[in-house]
Amino acid sequence: MATLHVLSHSPFADSRLSSCLRLLGGDDAILLCGDATYALTASTAARQALEAKADSLKLFILDEDAKARNLTLPEWVQSVDYPGFVALSVQYDKVNTWL
Amino acid sequence: MLSRVFEFFIIGPIHSCHPLTEPSMKFAIALYSPAHAASSRRALLFAQAVLCGGHDIVRLFFYQDGVHSTSANVVTPQDELDVPALWRDFVSDNRLDGVVCIAAGLRRGVLNQEEAERYSRPAANLPAPWDLSGLGQLHDAVQAADRLICFGGP
Amino acid sequence: MPKSLLIISRQSPWSGPSAREALDIALAGGAFDLPLGMLFLDDGVLQLLPSQSAKALQQKDLTANLQALSMFGVEELFACRTSLAERGMTSTELSVEPLQIVSDQDIAALIDRYDQVITI
Repeated sequence: MATLHVLSHSPFADSRLSSCLRLLGGDDAILLCGDATYALTASTAARQALEAKADSLKLFILDEDAKARNLTLPEWVQSVDYPGFVALSVQYDKVNTWL
Repeated sequence: MLSRVFEFFIIGPIHSCHPLTEPSMKFAIALYSPAHAASSRRALLFAQAVLCGGHDIVRLFFYQDGVHSTSANVVTPQDELDVPALWRDFVSDNRLDGVVCIAAGLRRGVLNQEEAERYSRPAANLPAPWDLSGLGQLHDAVQAADRLICFGGP
Repeated sequence: MPKSLLIISRQSPWSGPSAREALDIALAGGAFDLPLGMLFLDDGVLQLLPSQSAKALQQKDLTANLQALSMFGVEELFACRTSLAERGMTSTELSVEPLQIVSDQDIAALIDRYDQVITI
């Protein structure tokens, strides 16, 4: 069983990303959207925390949010559009949005 | 008038936009944020993509500040996306079940005609296609759907 | 067989309606006899502090409703051990029971076990 966790809050002002990373199951994935995409900003603790899990964690980002913020994406993150977001929600057993 | 047409943003009834490559699923979509939050538009585009992908939406449930996304009283600046109007059109054009939680709505001043009269409030701001109902409808949708997706926050 | 739902409550009791509205989802589901669980995580564990006074803020008593959860058929209540420790609550006598204190790994398994999840 695997869960897709969806985050949209900035990791700098908020503990959702760090809590989420603590609670991940072995096959879970994270989709970053909205301000959570800032977690990929270079030279940040958030990016380091994600990179440390790059081998075991599937990480996705909503393409429009990455583009809006002019983020450079590392190769261990996969960019998805809305049809891709829907496909992920079908592929994973459940979606847990960190409201 | 929209200043941009978003890539696959479709206004009007949606027919399948992509050939279905996986079994059709039933989605329950819940929104917790007002129209001016990025997550409200995000939820709308996701919902459109669900229908485009050949899946079904069992219900759209608006809870917490999500009730504000359905208010007919929101006036959007002309050079911005009119998200409440787009939600309303999406629900009516596709004949979807759009339910606004009554407790969350009352608390936030989102009332249909009946509730405005019941509580002697000066205005009703929840016309069709919206239904005002209880949390039982959220639970009912969760039971009926294959997937529950919530949107909220930024 | 009805689908089970885990409600994860992450907000403190007094900052806004989120704690109350998470609880309302649980109580509504309990009224329909649905299999539900509730997990208190991050600031959500602050709802479990004893001897709080809603009256002091002219608000409704959340604690009484939390204590009524099991009466409404919501018997699976959990609190995150790490969240409690971060907030100095490891030895605190919590205001709600029965309550299982769970580790991070337990929580991953919990989320897996339930059919659906709502995090508020």
